[in-house]
Amino acid sequence: MIHLFGHLLEGGYRAYSILRLLDYLSTRAIGAAMTAFILMLVVMPRFIWYLHHRGLVDQTRETGVPSAFDKAGTPVMGGAVMVGCVLAACLLWCDLTSSFLWPVLGGLLWFGGIGLADDLAKWRARSGNRGMSEIRKLMLQGAFAALFAAFLASPWSPLPAREAGAFYVPFVKHALFTSEWGYLPIVFLFVMLVGNAVNITDGLDGLAIVPSVFAVSALGVFAWVMGNAIWARYLFFPLLPGVGELVLVCAAFAGAGVGFLWFNAYPAQVFMGDSGSLAIGGCLATLSVLVKQEALFLILGGLFIAEAVTSQIQDKIGIKWLGRRLFYRAPLHHQLQHTGLAETKVVIRLWIVSLILTLVAIATVKLR
Amino acid sequence: MTAFQRILLTGGGTAGHVNPALAIGRALGDDRTTYLYVGVRGRAEADVVPRDGMPITFVRASAYPGSWPSAAWLGFLASTAAGTLKAASVIRRFRPDIVVGTGGFASAPTMFAAALLRRLGLYRAGIYVHEQNAAPGKLNLLVGRLADRVFVSFPETLSAFPSNGVMAGYPLRRRIAGVDRRAAGEGLDFEVPAGRRVVFAFGGSQGARTINRAVVDALGALLPHKDRLFVIHGTGLRRGDGTYDAHADSQDRLAALYTADERRAIDSFYVARPYFHEIEKIYALADLVVVRAGAGTLNEVAALGLPAIVIPKINLPGEHQVMNARALARSGGAVVLYEQTLTEHGRPVEHVDGMLLAHEIVALLADAEGLRRMGQAGPAFVRHDALDIIRRSIAGEESSASPSADAVAVAASPAALPGNAALLSRLERARGAAGARGFDVRLAIPSAADRAYYTSRATSLVASRFWESRNLGVKLIGMLQARECLPLVVALLKDRTRAAWYKRALGGDFEQVGFVRRNALAALARLGVVTPEVEAVLVAALNDPYYEARAEACRAVTELEPHLSAAGRAHLVAGLVRLLRDRWLEVAAAAAEALGHVGGADDARPALVALQDHKFWLVRAAGLRGLLALIERGQAGSLEGLEESLRGFALTATDFRPEFTIRTAYARVVTAIAARRTPS
Repeated sequence: MIHLFGHLLEGGYRAYSILRLLDYLSTRAIGAAMTAFILMLVVMPRFIWYLHHRGLVDQTRETGVPSAFDKAGTPVMGGAVMVGCVLAACLLWCDLTSSFLWPVLGGLLWFGGIGLADDLAKWRARSGNRGMSEIRKLMLQGAFAALFAAFLASPWSPLPAREAGAFYVPFVKHALFTSEWGYLPIVFLFVMLVGNAVNITDGLDGLAIVPSVFAVSALGVFAWVMGNAIWARYLFFPLLPGVGELVLVCAAFAGAGVGFLWFNAYPAQVFMGDSGSLAIGGCLATLSVLVKQEALFLILGGLFIAEAVTSQIQDKIGIKWLGRRLFYRAPLHHQLQHTGLAETKVVIRLWIVSLILTLVAIATVKLR
Repeated sequence: MTAFQRILLTGGGTAGHVNPALAIGRALGDDRTTYLYVGVRGRAEADVVPRDGMPITFVRASAYPGSWPSAAWLGFLASTAAGTLKAASVIRRFRPDIVVGTGGFASAPTMFAAALLRRLGLYRAGIYVHEQNAAPGKLNLLVGRLADRVFVSFPETLSAFPSNGVMAGYPLRRRIAGVDRRAAGEGLDFEVPAGRRVVFAFGGSQGARTINRAVVDALGALLPHKDRLFVIHGTGLRRGDGTYDAHADSQDRLAALYTADERRAIDSFYVARPYFHEIEKIYALADLVVVRAGAGTLNEVAALGLPAIVIPKINLPGEHQVMNARALARSGGAVVLYEQTLTEHGRPVEHVDGMLLAHEIVALLADAEGLRRMGQAGPAFVRHDALDIIRRSIAGEESSASPSADAVAVAASPAALPGNAALLSRLERARGAAGARGFDVRLAIPSAADRAYYTSRATSLVASRFWESRNLGVKLIGMLQARECLPLVVALLKDRTRAAWYKRALGGDFEQVGFVRRNALAALARLGVVTPEVEAVLVAALNDPYYEARAEACRAVTELEPHLSAAGRAHLVAGLVRLLRDRWLEVAAAAAEALGHVGGADDARPALVALQDHKFWLVRAAGLRGLLALIERGQAGSLEGLEESLRGFALTATDFRPEFTIRTAYARVVTAIAARRTPS
């Protein structure tokens, strides 16, 4: 909106040429990040009190006498505020005509909506176990993943036609293969996997949000490189005109994420809930696909992937089928806790791991 | 009212569905009525219906297979579809004025076809269903929704058909009643000596193995009463599929169990026949019956005022036999015995203890007053006007029973029996509230009959081919503290059948999967019985390939510690010491704690002290707890120098428990309020 406003003013009067700053990606990115961060700081305390008073709190256990040790009773749905702040910052700072913008915001809202419905269902049932059924969740997510894949193959896709079916892997300059029939199913599975991976990771205070901020920042770097003709040519990336707009989304996201951490840091005053974790998942998935870095995400989001894979192996292969546990506990962070590591130690060690993974991922910009 | 002229009847699979269909059909028609019965070839209706003088035609159908997706499910869908098409053509040609179904899988195609044709406008007359059982089957639930009205036999059942259910009762065969006891003995191929009390045991036309075996087993214990007693045993006909030849099996068992002398004595008060075509005569002779809990048998027995020992078949759809039996028992007309599942040559076999049956028979026959009261409760339990209610209801006349009376009956009927999972969580809650040591199942489930029934269900789960069910069953056995099931639990733990190779490739090991073994060990601890066999199983379990089973074995050793023999204890301690070096820290920790409870100064103490170098603080902490238990038991030996030897337990860890102090304050305020508010 500010972008549009700046253009209007600048067109009329030379005196407003300072408003040209509003054309620069960097200025707008910083603006979006700051907007989202400050909005979070303003809105969240009020929202936490609102959640407390409405009783929209974590329903993980049957609470009798309040325990001095467990965290039941911490409000959930902090993620909904985060989604709102990202959205507000994007609407304010982005070029709303960009066709890259809407699929990402669509993923954010769609997955966030599913999460919100799930959080509310759990709250209504007064039980942490009885949210939306797994099948229904997967169906709704699958519907988005399929629409998104179809959108990429359609004439309205923001990607250039030659990139529509191209699949890139890290450390290799050229597309591994280019085939829509091979690529689109990968997109579908990728969106489903990543969309849920953050949800599984979200189990300890601050555990999901910090690696998400790392990942989204790295994706921002890729978006900036691929949207810039000079850098793209220099680093042998396919040029995706207009993808730079996603830098703003990444920045807004990072700002909101840090704002969320402000409150979610141990001991958490608010949890993101499914409305946050699924939204982050949907956003990361669509971002990675639009900057053509699906394979890279296996490194960049290695933590999320490890959490999702351990949880599925333990649950689906071990508990449901073989009738035994294959790890002490799953996902990964519970396994670590089970061996006697304190929650904060688990979280900070996993942050470190995810930071290293992010640095490796950013290194692939040059190492190709 | 005018009688119907063309009546189509269906229902079957077993005689329990056929007889009510015939009774209702005859009640709705008159001399000029044309009947047609639709059934399944080779089932009870193929035999019973022609004998009643009614034409029958056959369609395909098969029983609801329960689990899906499976090959059986496809077969079920295919045969039901084929049967429905055939039934539709039968209905189109016969053009009935009314279709009446009495359930059983044989009725499903016809009822589907009638409902379908009516939806298409090709059939306009009424569709009625009669449900004999307290808990309707899956197919009848579905068919009931398509019908105009569902007549039920028990008030409990009305809740399953809220919009179209009508309480009617069970339609009895008219010829059953009114046989004189003196006349009954005529025409039989045996004679009941005068002055004997007659017990009639039978398990339906095809026999019930549980009843047959229990009766034969009971005969020995009944020998001392042979001058006062006479047992008539209907063993059942050979099954068409050859799975069970009831009469031969009973005779073999008789020969195997008793000596020739005993058999001669038994012959003086016991006759066995495969089948009684004139069962009403035997009914008239009997003072007490031993029966299955099919709705038909139970209603007949109750209507005749016969006191009954009922052995319901467990694990039928909706547990309908159990529901029937409990309904009659609640009214006072019956005593219920539950079968338990044993493993015999690796195959599950349902079983009722013959001694227990003999004891019940003798006790009931000795108590003349009690028998009389049971006999009076039966007829009160049965609705005798079932056919009349059905006829009036179909004709649109007001039912003679006031609806409010039925409503009261529904409200007063007890809540449905908890399912297995619900039962388990109920017991777990009770155990949580009482504490592991203080838990007594007799307080959680006061009724001994209920406990026997739940145990019966648990044992039958353990015999399931799905590990999830076996797992649930073994947990229930532990929670129910069913000591009599100890051999079953031990058998599970000894079973070392290997799992399929593709499961082993992914980490599986045996058919009795890790969870089953872990929970069997937990059950063992809860049963609290130690035999040499249990000790051997525990020693073996300490080497189980699954880590949770090893850890659970350690905990079980702790629980069973007071009952251990000296030799068993030595073996177990050696095994526990070995486990301190286990790769899985959970096992090492459990072993360390267990050692504190069973070990001594020579074996456990040095091993526990050596744990101070362990990589995981959780194991070091468990080692300290073990040492504490040793010291408190006075088994730590000389305490001189012990403290110095513990210095290596570095007392730091990677975890500690933080505390929300505000919640502590809040909890104290809450308790203070509660304490002050109680009136002094």
